[in-house]
Amino acid sequence: MTRALLSLGLLALASVALALALGSVTVSPADLWQVIQGEGSTLHRTLLLDLRLPRTLAAFGTGGLLAVAGALMQVLLRNPLADPYVLGLSGGAAVGALLAMLMGMGTLIISGSAFAGAMLATVLVFGLAHGTGSWTPSRLLLTGVVVAAGWGAVITLMLAITPSYKLPGMLYWLMGDVSYARSPWPAVVVLAVAVVLIMPLARNLNVLARGPMQAAALGVSVRPLEWTIYVLASLLTATAVTTAGSIGFVGLIVPHMLRLILGNDQRIILPASALAGGTLLVLADTLARTMIAPEQLPVGVITALLGVPTFLYLLHRSR
Amino acid sequence: MVSHWLNFRFALGFLVATLAYPTSASEMQRCAMDDTGKELCLSAPAQRVITLSPGATELMFAAGAGDRVMAVVNYSDYPPAALELPLIGSHTRVDMEALMALGPDLVVTWVTGNPPAQVELLDELGVPTFAIEPRTFAGVSSVIERLATLAGTEREGFAEAERFRIGIASLTERYVSVEPIPIFYQVWEKPLMTVNNEHLIGKVLQLCGGVNVFGDMQRLIPRISAEVVLQADPDAILTGSVDGVSDDQLDEWKKYAGLTAVEKNNLLFVPASPISRPTPRLLDAIQTVCEKLENARERL
Repeated sequence: MTRALLSLGLLALASVALALALGSVTVSPADLWQVIQGEGSTLHRTLLLDLRLPRTLAAFGTGGLLAVAGALMQVLLRNPLADPYVLGLSGGAAVGALLAMLMGMGTLIISGSAFAGAMLATVLVFGLAHGTGSWTPSRLLLTGVVVAAGWGAVITLMLAITPSYKLPGMLYWLMGDVSYARSPWPAVVVLAVAVVLIMPLARNLNVLARGPMQAAALGVSVRPLEWTIYVLASLLTATAVTTAGSIGFVGLIVPHMLRLILGNDQRIILPASALAGGTLLVLADTLARTMIAPEQLPVGVITALLGVPTFLYLLHRSR
Repeated sequence: MVSHWLNFRFALGFLVATLAYPTSASEMQRCAMDDTGKELCLSAPAQRVITLSPGATELMFAAGAGDRVMAVVNYSDYPPAALELPLIGSHTRVDMEALMALGPDLVVTWVTGNPPAQVELLDELGVPTFAIEPRTFAGVSSVIERLATLAGTEREGFAEAERFRIGIASLTERYVSVEPIPIFYQVWEKPLMTVNNEHLIGKVLQLCGGVNVFGDMQRLIPRISAEVVLQADPDAILTGSVDGVSDDQLDEWKKYAGLTAVEKNNLLFVPASPISRPTPRLLDAIQTVCEKLENARERL
């Protein structure tokens, strides 16, 4: 099983190398090597170190965060359709981001506002689902889905009253776009810290996935564990959405893909999700910025185009 | 007093510059204020310019610096020479690699049209950017002069700006006493959108004696319902189309035979690109709109 993680790690490195090597401007391997050694022309250094590297890291971090958050949500809600956004977190973030854009704020405030929106959505769903005391995953799911619909309505309202010149920026945010990511570090650091923190919990998550009764019988304190997962998944998703907008699909499909190949052991699935989610988004973003260059595609299009056939193939093979 | 002080300061600065750099003429800074109020100073005339909006492309050519433009974004279709230039994406999504690879010494951006994150990235990478978006006729001539200053093509640029200024003045004079005619300008069909008097299109309409029935609305490009158009019952309805050729954009109104504009056959088309871009071609747009409105008045 560590072999699986090792090969995923190598795959991740390969995808990052590919992303650095490819772009609308051709940089030869020799030039690439020079830049890695700290030499090379100013242009090549700018292309690789200022444009491609931050963007690739941001893509990797975002993809990894979404996949891990998705895996956590699927365990928490015991529902295969759960993804990081199912409880309305991306909706809250979108309302925050769009509000800041509507008021003509700078990129930093847009990010901050998106994060605040995501946190507000989390607290709102937590409070509402918790309200009367009795609490079940299905109650959390229902609350989340309804609140998400509410955010959706607010987003539509905002799009309807926004001056038309601001619409493209807003739509691209909603589609998810790594090209607007400013700094990759929040995503990468949060991902690394989260994976380290979560590994000790993985064994308990395996038990929880079999049902709360069994988990309780086996001595897992279910309620605190569930809330920990919820808060953690929310933080991961909020960081991802703040970095690159609401990129869909990765959080839903990557954990399922990995379960089809590796089996449902969270000790493997969680770190594997981080690596595979990152790899998928890096590859998708590389295609998005090179396929019809100089035109640039939104990365979400490519994630789905790459992911759907791969997933269907795996599903077909597993029968 | 102030001007004396400025003269003195200028003279002193010039003296210092001359003393410090014996070959100062070519090393004098060329400075201009962009439309966000940021001042940009270049140590040499811009030679490698990239424009991030179709309007900016047109204005660079108008400033006499068309030969300095190395790359443009989608829809840069005027003047024809712009069609030959390489593309670096669209105004909402710029291919930053392609841009950096060209090594520009000036990037002309669009205040509300380009993604702020990409413009900020250009600033961080040390690429000089100049944001433009003229909202008035005076703004058009001024931006031509400012771009000419940065490119060192003052002679052509200032002449073109003056030609535009004189053109506007003579058109204004010619149409100042025409009879006002209530009109509705349709920017987009679904959803129905128009412009207010602050919009450059609104200013063109006013110059021609058109009274924009939605001119007082708060937003620059308000979204409205068909009902308020019926209620306002304008004498003419205008919209922009490719080359001003009639198409199906105004067909919806023909359902309402009681509308004055329909009854009097005053559904009018003007070329979309000259009227929507803040460039010297506005003169052509004004000419066309004024003539169309003249004809419309006669049909009333």
